[in-house]
Amino acid sequence: MNDNVIKIENLVKYFDGRCVLDGINLTVPRGCIYGLLGRNGAGKTTIIRILLGLEPATRGRTFLLETESTNLAPKIRGRIGCVAEGHNLIQNYKVERLIKLCKDLSLQWNDESFDHLMKTFRLPKDRRIKDLSMGMRAQLNLSLAMAIDPELLILDDPTLGLDTVARRQFLELAIEVIQKQNRTILFCSHILSDVERIAERIGILAAGKLVVDCPLEQLKERVKKLRIIFPESVPENLYLTEIINQQIQGREMAITVANWNRQKQAILETFKPSSCTEIPMSLEDIFIECTRPGAETVEVA
Amino acid sequence: MLTLIRREIRDNIVYFIAAVVFSAILIALLTAATYNLDWISDPAVYVGLSIPMLVILVLGFSAMGVTQMYIDRNRKISAFLSALPVTRSWILAARIVAGLLAILTVLVPLTIAVIVMGRLIAPPIPIFAGYIADILTTVFLMVFACYCLGLLTGWTANKIAPTFGALGLNIVLVSLVFVKGFGPDIKFLLVLVIVACLIRTWHKFMSTSL
Repeated sequence: MNDNVIKIENLVKYFDGRCVLDGINLTVPRGCIYGLLGRNGAGKTTIIRILLGLEPATRGRTFLLETESTNLAPKIRGRIGCVAEGHNLIQNYKVERLIKLCKDLSLQWNDESFDHLMKTFRLPKDRRIKDLSMGMRAQLNLSLAMAIDPELLILDDPTLGLDTVARRQFLELAIEVIQKQNRTILFCSHILSDVERIAERIGILAAGKLVVDCPLEQLKERVKKLRIIFPESVPENLYLTEIINQQIQGREMAITVANWNRQKQAILETFKPSSCTEIPMSLEDIFIECTRPGAETVEVA
Repeated sequence: MLTLIRREIRDNIVYFIAAVVFSAILIALLTAATYNLDWISDPAVYVGLSIPMLVILVLGFSAMGVTQMYIDRNRKISAFLSALPVTRSWILAARIVAGLLAILTVLVPLTIAVIVMGRLIAPPIPIFAGYIADILTTVFLMVFACYCLGLLTGWTANKIAPTFGALGLNIVLVSLVFVKGFGPDIKFLLVLVIVACLIRTWHKFMSTSL
């Protein structure tokens, strides 16, 4: 049995002649928390919309729970929880009415879990959605998505608009869900510390391509930033493959290299640098380096 | 599906209330005409009232179609619903069913009233009953066609296109009925308009970004 909950094959999307996604291939196995990162307009939301069948792809195919996105039957949709960017709930509805609508339409509804979340977030049921703050809308959206005990949870910038406490609550909840039920989460966010905290695997989108797709730990091991000082000037013939970024200032060179290994280290040592120190990188640093124009793809060996 | 139909009815409750009120007014006028009240027995008054009533009926249901689609698109209602265990075709089908129910809210009581009044005062001539049936069927088809035109033109982010687009197309359709009468050819034409509008709306709704 194929155990990829999400599968994207050669996905291409054009908007008004502009290529937003250029041949994306991605698989997310069952039970994985996948953090999809990218700058504004990188195509994260577009991928999610195509996955959910809200947006047609220009080319390529996407699958959720082994069903093509263009053909998602209600039975399959009932196993997917979704928190959309901007929390587009039905604005003129009262909270209570929206909850009833979602409950009536869902295939399964966990009242206990939902009531627990409503109490945790202290959401008022008698107010209209448009009168709720962005943070409250995010909490309501998340509660609705969680109430169906989803097998797959798709979160598009879910913590947008949440205060620090609510954000922490949300992340803990997400971890609880994944640990308890072996569910899969696709998580897009601009808050990299959130992603770093919960994601097991990371994908980074830049210029329409998936430039990084590997486990978080492996990513941190594979992308290295080095400060190298040479005795005289930086050699002109210094050639290393997969340099993501480099800056030269006099005798000093700072390079970010993808897929750092012994072979590359040996090549560097032939140029006899005076010193070579590794600069620790957070996910945010790696993200910034990888989303620069011309960044190398970091592939898993 | 029932939940979706209920949602459509509740969201468009204004049209249903208007349909009930309108139906009551029509039945009151019909009763007045039947019992030869002085002010309405004059054919000029009768025709003078029928035409605006028909125009209100047509424009009202066309507006309902436009509202359903325009509000959906601009408030991203279908985008939200599509993330739940429903399909786009269910959403559209529920919408059309709600529209049909609103039309029937006007026409069913009116038909019953016409039948009752007919039994009370008209001579038992089959041709007369056939004529009434022809009128009511054509009115139903015309109103439903205008509703479908509303659905078709309402799926846009632009406010001018649905307003004037639906209005223009409705005028053409109503004029055709006034010119051609209530015969089988106009019924055939109205069915064609309905089928074309529904196919195009379905295609648009199924293939567009939500």
